[in-house]
Amino acid sequence: MTDAAVVTKVDSRGTACPGPITDLAMAYRRSKVGDTIEIWATDPGFKPDVQAWAAKTGNPIISLEEGPEKITAVIRVVRR
Amino acid sequence: MATELALPAGSGTATKTKLAIIMFSGTADKFLALGVLSQAAAALGTEVDLFVSGFALLGFTKEHHDLPFAIEFAGMARAMAQGLETSRVGPWDTMVRQAKELGAKVHACSMMSGVMGLALGDFNDLIDDIVGAASFIQMAEGGQTLFI
Repeated sequence: MTDAAVVTKVDSRGTACPGPITDLAMAYRRSKVGDTIEIWATDPGFKPDVQAWAAKTGNPIISLEEGPEKITAVIRVVRR
Repeated sequence: MATELALPAGSGTATKTKLAIIMFSGTADKFLALGVLSQAAAALGTEVDLFVSGFALLGFTKEHHDLPFAIEFAGMARAMAQGLETSRVGPWDTMVRQAKELGAKVHACSMMSGVMGLALGDFNDLIDDIVGAASFIQMAEGGQTLFI
């Protein structure tokens, strides 16, 4: 790998479905293998949606937390 | 609550799937469904092809047409518009544009374009090309198809 792995933070709070998953897809497009994407969302559908996205694209979710104010998902990019 | 997902690196299927949507209805409420589904599918990495026919073609012309709300729910149109604004749901065409940015393709039906007197130059930039039904059926082969 020529470039160091980066952690990208995406704030999708306040956007409705399919906004957060689209923001994730856009960040994923700009990422490379080894990177980490942390995304914040408030859409209630985001938790199952991000799991569907991970299963579909084959990139694992490192953590998925639902707090009182936001859902935080951390994804490791392992394939492009 | 933290959830640790038992998905080891690279174990995902990463399957390439296809979604074909036939957009026939020309009412505003159904255009919203078109926008949401095509954007979500494209974000998921699904190959998306939209086939626009019938009255839905009027949503894709350079000339602006006010899209009517489905008559049975017309009384709710104003409240719905307010709700969409409160929830910060963008317009349907912005969603389709976003889907296209993620790889979706939009095709106009050749037969209905002809019936309505519309040539490629009459459509806005959301329309990629004009194709016949057979081409679309071939694009849709092996994937899921929705009729809206």
